[in-house]
Amino acid sequence: MGETSSPPEGANIEGESPQIEPTIETDEATITDDSELERTLGLTGGLAIGIGTMIGAGIFVFPGLAADQAGPAASASFAIGAVVALLVALPASELATAMPKSGGGYYFISRGLGTLAGAVVGLSLWFGLVFATAFYLVGFGYYAVDTLAELGIAVGEGLVIPIALLFGAGFTVLNVTGTENAAKLQNGIVALLLSILVVFLTYGGLDAAGIVGESSTPEQFAPDGVFPIFTTAALVFTSYLGFAQVATVAGEMKDPGRNLPLSMVGSVLVVGVLYVLTIFVATSGLGSDTLGDLGETAMVEVGRHYLGPVGAVAIVFGGLLATMSSANASVLSTSRSIYAVSRDALLPQRASRINLRYGTPHVALGMAGGPILVLTATGRVELLAEVASFLHLVMYGLICVALIALRRDEPEWYDPDFRVPGYPIVPALGAICSFALIAFMQPASRYVGAGIMLLTVVWYVYYARDIELKGAL
Amino acid sequence: MTRILVPLAILEGESVSAGLVDLLEPMDVTVLGYHVLPEQTPPDQARLQYEERATDALEDLAAEFGAEAGTADYRLVFTHDRKQTVDRVADVTDAGVYAIPGATGPVERLLVALTGDVAVDRIVSFVGELVGDRDIAVTLFLATDDASGGRELLETATTPLVDQAIDVRTELAVDEPPLEALVDAAVDHDAIVMGERAPSLRTLVFGEEAERVAAESVGPVLVVRRGEDDETTAAEEPTSLEES
Repeated sequence: MGETSSPPEGANIEGESPQIEPTIETDEATITDDSELERTLGLTGGLAIGIGTMIGAGIFVFPGLAADQAGPAASASFAIGAVVALLVALPASELATAMPKSGGGYYFISRGLGTLAGAVVGLSLWFGLVFATAFYLVGFGYYAVDTLAELGIAVGEGLVIPIALLFGAGFTVLNVTGTENAAKLQNGIVALLLSILVVFLTYGGLDAAGIVGESSTPEQFAPDGVFPIFTTAALVFTSYLGFAQVATVAGEMKDPGRNLPLSMVGSVLVVGVLYVLTIFVATSGLGSDTLGDLGETAMVEVGRHYLGPVGAVAIVFGGLLATMSSANASVLSTSRSIYAVSRDALLPQRASRINLRYGTPHVALGMAGGPILVLTATGRVELLAEVASFLHLVMYGLICVALIALRRDEPEWYDPDFRVPGYPIVPALGAICSFALIAFMQPASRYVGAGIMLLTVVWYVYYARDIELKGAL
Repeated sequence: MTRILVPLAILEGESVSAGLVDLLEPMDVTVLGYHVLPEQTPPDQARLQYEERATDALEDLAAEFGAEAGTADYRLVFTHDRKQTVDRVADVTDAGVYAIPGATGPVERLLVALTGDVAVDRIVSFVGELVGDRDIAVTLFLATDDASGGRELLETATTPLVDQAIDVRTELAVDEPPLEALVDAAVDHDAIVMGERAPSLRTLVFGEEAERVAAESVGPVLVVRRGEDDETTAAEEPTSLEES
């Protein structure tokens, strides 16, 4: 019953057609008619992208906000997030091994479900990443102010947004002009962060379990009942967005059949465990009310509680690095997702032009950096996080739907190296959970998210309704 | 016939000198046009923009090396990692030698370095193949601590070349820093042939020896790759170093 892959058809309103050429994929390179594209990212690189993008938010920004809403049960919220992320990471891995191309979720959905779904997801992902990056930057601003405070320079929270804006602009400019290999630096940062966390969690965990240090009275696990656990899960889901960023570099990953599933599922498992433990240790140490009052940088006080000034400095330093690496990794993913959409002529193709002087995609980076700065200026941490999650969750749900659609009537070209275990239950649950989590968000976030999706539909109808991408590999 | 890979940063205007083209003329040549991209740029994105321009340039270059006679072809690769690309394409095309193109006029005298843990037999037989019956003189160079052993090695290496009626000279540097001695010896030579060394801590810190020789000596360097038999030593290296 299979259909062969069909060439893309149609053109956008400017007369541009999708630029797709037949390719042969090997473990080491993608071979087109006239040239080869080297695959240079190994498993370590993939894990560093996944973990590096995710760890900043979950550990260093959310504990205070989450404990405020759900009490010690915030651990459960993070666990729910991990389960949902895992249910999506498995289907996403299957699709990524079947279509190891840059573009990630957008690519799977446009090929599996057609152009309209693809356009909505592709353009929404652009905005989703922009919201996520703005959120990381605001988190970074809070840590920068705290760093100054630890150094004895009290500047107050008024400087959070200006600092975040300054660094946001800085990252964009660096990404346009910088040609140094920052990937190795990213690997180092992730390794350093993981070591800081393991030391902190080991000591804090022993203390919380009453083995060392003074004993504390446990508080009620879920002081406000079960409902806040789910709303908090919806809020903190932003901490799990990074695994799909691994799929945006699928075209550059060596041995994609092995490394893509391992880095996506592996990074979700690693950060999920770390999140749950961190929240447990944090709420045991200070109590959720105190944590809630401390807000975005509550973890600094948790560090001080367990390990004294050294702990506070380690967490402040870790928080700076982690939010910075999240923001930077997201700027890169944003530019890649803009490229994927414009290659298929859903955006003007000049958006993927490369700058002759630096060899970097300056138009796409600008289209990422500009909106990021505008959103950072709002400084609304929870709204930014939830809208980012909303737009990603829609994509995650549709990834699962695309998998089921492709599996029900497998086209000839569909030959994944990794097949999701527990089909069809896992992808079906993944889709249901992704959409259900949206229902627990604040109304404001849902309106903004839905508004953005509506705009993308309008754009599709105006600009690119004649383009046919389904099955166009 | 040994195939020689000539990697060129094609979009940065890197090209080959007439002297190198003449030197490699009797051999099979694969011109590897590569373009290294910063990690912000997906290779596919660069391909869309640059493929045509790069292919035009490569076609001309391959023609110089004798594409029409069927002894030369070309490949174009967009990559984040130059070394990985050169190694992969050399494996795929079964190239035993790669070239670091430098500037040189007509090649009249070749310097052949046999220093260190390299496959002397393969280097010497490649030189024999390269020189053929052309009027190119050869200097065999060895830097070592063991004067008598070194003299013996040079003598054994000389024999097959002399049998082929090649004008061979030897140069032995005892107890001198090998790299400096090689660069000094290169002064009155037009090109260098050397063997690829097993990756070590030194190469990790200072870069490939051949690259440093090429930078110091200006002229082209032909590097005889380590073969399958030499891989046993490499297998002990931790593979994680290769991941970036």
